[in-house]
Formats: sequence, structure tokens, C-alpha cells
Amino acid sequence: MIIDVAKIAKEVKVKLPDLITRPVGRMMYAATAGKLSIIGAGETVILDFNSVKVIDSSFIDEYIVKLILDSREKDFYLKLRNISPISEINIDSVFNSYSNYKETRIAVAREEMGKNNRFYIGPLAEQESDIMDYLRLNMNAGIEDISRFSGIDFNVLKILLDELSILRVIRRNNGEFSPV
Amino acid sequence: MSVPGNNIIIIPDRFRDPYIFENVLSLQSRIFSEKAVLDLSRIAFMEPYSMLSFLLMGRDYMRSNGEKLKLINVPVHIQQYLTRMDFFESGVFNMPEVLKDNMMFKRNASSSRLLEITMIPNKERQGVDVISSVIALFRKRASIILKYWMNDSVTDYFVTVISELCQNIFEHSLDTGYMAMQTYRSGNENIARLVISDSGIGILKSFSSRDDLEFTGGAELIEMALTTPISSKREFGYGLCQVNSIVEKLKGVVFIRSGESSLTALYDRKDQNSKYIFHRNGLVQFNGTQISISLSA
Repeated sequence: MIIDVAKIAKEVKVKLPDLITRPVGRMMYAATAGKLSIIGAGETVILDFNSVKVIDSSFIDEYIVKLILDSREKDFYLKLRNISPISEINIDSVFNSYSNYKETRIAVAREEMGKNNRFYIGPLAEQESDIMDYLRLNMNAGIEDISRFSGIDFNVLKILLDELSILRVIRRNNGEFSPV
Repeated sequence: MSVPGNNIIIIPDRFRDPYIFENVLSLQSRIFSEKAVLDLSRIAFMEPYSMLSFLLMGRDYMRSNGEKLKLINVPVHIQQYLTRMDFFESGVFNMPEVLKDNMMFKRNASSSRLLEITMIPNKERQGVDVISSVIALFRKRASIILKYWMNDSVTDYFVTVISELCQNIFEHSLDTGYMAMQTYRSGNENIARLVISDSGIGILKSFSSRDDLEFTGGAELIEMALTTPISSKREFGYGLCQVNSIVEKLKGVVFIRSGESSLTALYDRKDQNSKYIFHRNGLVQFNGTQISISLSA
């Protein structure tokens, strides 16, 4: 499912190009969550931020963080599209703070490569980034293939793949892994 | 013994930056207790932080004494500037000598290197509407206000900063506040200054329920709020941290004053391996939180 964020903003009468403040985040979340009630298990939801310039940390906390937590609970995958550079910085900052102080990480996949040269936003380790890159190129791979490519110890790799799957930035399907 | 209402206090020319404005704040208790009339004849220049703090002083005066603070001998150029910034729209000052309309500054595009004083309500719904309007206006004027710092991202950075700081007013201060922004010249420097101020409960009281936080003074608590995602209301508060990291990226200066403490972070000096964060405690009590974000070029 593709969620056109600008269209939802229009529906809830929020003026673009900026999506800022907690109340706006809450309104947008309620409208988006309503649309997600019909999605199937394991489906990918693309949040398209086309026409949006700035999203601030309050909005991110009320909108993106909540949708990420929902994706874990309700079994769907979230992916961001058309994220502006400043929004990437703000999202990364919120995710880093959340992960540092909550002792549980959050991250999200994205469609275009960001300023961090990665296809995700969030505090992933170097080896996790390598795995993400490999899957992005190869689309589908088993743990042996990834181990051979990356040189990461098999047991360590297993833990990393579990972590990335829990973060829902990669998919696991019948022992194979693929990008979101 | 002085008769309330008859004393005239000559206000010193200390409106050039947040640090020397302390001099004016130190007169506050005398102004309030003597119900003094303020003579502004010595003032040669007023920058946005001092202006908004002075406005808060006037509002606090009206709240505590029930009457408007009287200003006399306001130099023409200061009156022109204050009128241009909508300083008198708040209605907390009494100024008998008002300039005629034809002596006021015209509001044309070339004089739009500023955002006039805007009141930020303490109610969430109205606050969000005002922030949205302020940011729309800022986007229109950003290329002029931030002329010396312009690149692809600086406008968007400031949209984030304005949004985060204005939200803190209705989220935490329990009072209405004000914001203003201006680019001005000081000596050889061009300075862009964004100021967001309130006279609410202040940072120390806002965090009074957080027994888990350990700090030695108000300034240390301000630094904690600026550099770690603590919140008085939620599990986390990202806003001030985000502002801090943006100002650091832009190599700007953050000044925060709350209650009797202040913090200055000079990110333009950080690369010089010298101290760049400065704490001050034991200042004159001034209600609320006043924040100045500056860039210089």
C-alpha cells in the first residue's frame, strides 16, 4: 500500500510543505492508521513524503515512531519514500535518541539512498549496514550466501539477521532474507 | 522615601546583547516596587533578545501592579524600530509621546529582514495555528533574513528550530510567549537572531517532578535539557536536542536563560579547542525561559 502523506495532510486540513508539531502528528497518525486497517499480514506500506519539506521531531515521534511500533505489532513493513535531507536528519536524530535511552532500537527502510549513503534511517551497526546493502543488491539470499559475502561468523550473522528482522528493515521468508 | 509612580529611572544603554541586558534585569525589582517611570533616552540600539525580554518585563509589571509600564523620552529611531517590530501591539506599555504615522518605517519588501513579534498562545490548538503562520511567513522572508547564510538547507533547519522552540511554550511554560527574528549589523558582523521567550514556570520548575535527574544548578539542568533527550512530560523530549544539534551544525550560538541561570553554547568556537559552553547561576530572578539562537557572518 502506498500512503500519500501530502494527500492525507490535505484530508485533515494541514497545510504543506511542513509537517510539524505533535497535534499535527497525532491527526495524521489517526488518519493513516484508519487506512492501514485493511492491509494484509506482511504487506509493505510505503509512506510517500513527496511535497513535504520539513518534519520535526515532535511530528516524527507522534507519526513515524508510532507507525513503526504498529508495524511490529500488526505485522506489516514500513518504508519511506521522498524524504528530504532535513527530514532525514531529524528522523535519524529521533531514532538515535530513542535507541540510546530506551535500550531498544528503531530503524526504518527507505526507497532512495539517503545522505548517509544507506537505504535505511536509524542506528544500525556497520555489519548490519553491509547486510542491508547486500540484500538490496541481491534481493534475496540465504544465510550461507550472506556469510560467504560478508565474512561474518555464521553465528554472529544469525543474531544480526534476527535483529534486522525484528527491526523490520529486512524480511525473512522460508529461511531466505530480502529487503523491505 | 520615594512616592510610587513618580520615580523616574534612567534605563542604561544595555540592549545590545543578552549578556549586558542583565544590567537592565537587575533594575526590575526597583522598577516594580517603586512603580517607576522608565526614561529610555540613553538607549542607542536594541536587539531582538533584549527587546523581547523588555516586553516580558512590561507584561510582568502589568500583571503584578495592574497598570501599564510608563516609558518616556524614547529616542525616535528606537520608537520607529519598536513600532516596526509590533512591540506596542501587546498593550503593556504606556507611552505618552507617540510619533506620527508619517515618521514610522514603511513595511515594504526591503524591510523584511525580520519576523515581527508574534505571540505564541499557551493553548495547544491555537499554538499550532500560530506556529504554522509564523513558519509560512518565515519561508517567504527567509531568503532576505538569512541572506548571508543561504544554502539549500538553512531555511529548513530554521523551520525545525522555530517549530521546536515555539512548541515548548505551550507544552511546558504554562504561559503565553513571544517570538521574533531579525538580521542586523553589529560592527563588522551581520547577525541573524531568533528569539523565543516566555515568562512561564521556567526549566527548573518544569522538571521539578523528575527526582531522577541529578544536577548541581539551574545552568547544568539547562545543559542537560539541551544535550540529552529528557522531558518533563514524556519519556523523551527531542526538541531542544534537535535545536542544539542544528545550531552546532550551523556553527551558531545558543543562549538560554531561565529563572536565575543561563547557558551559552558558542558553537562557532568549538573547533578552536577552547571552552565553548558557559554556565551562569545566581543571576537576578527573571521568570520563564528566554532563548536566543544567533548566526554571525
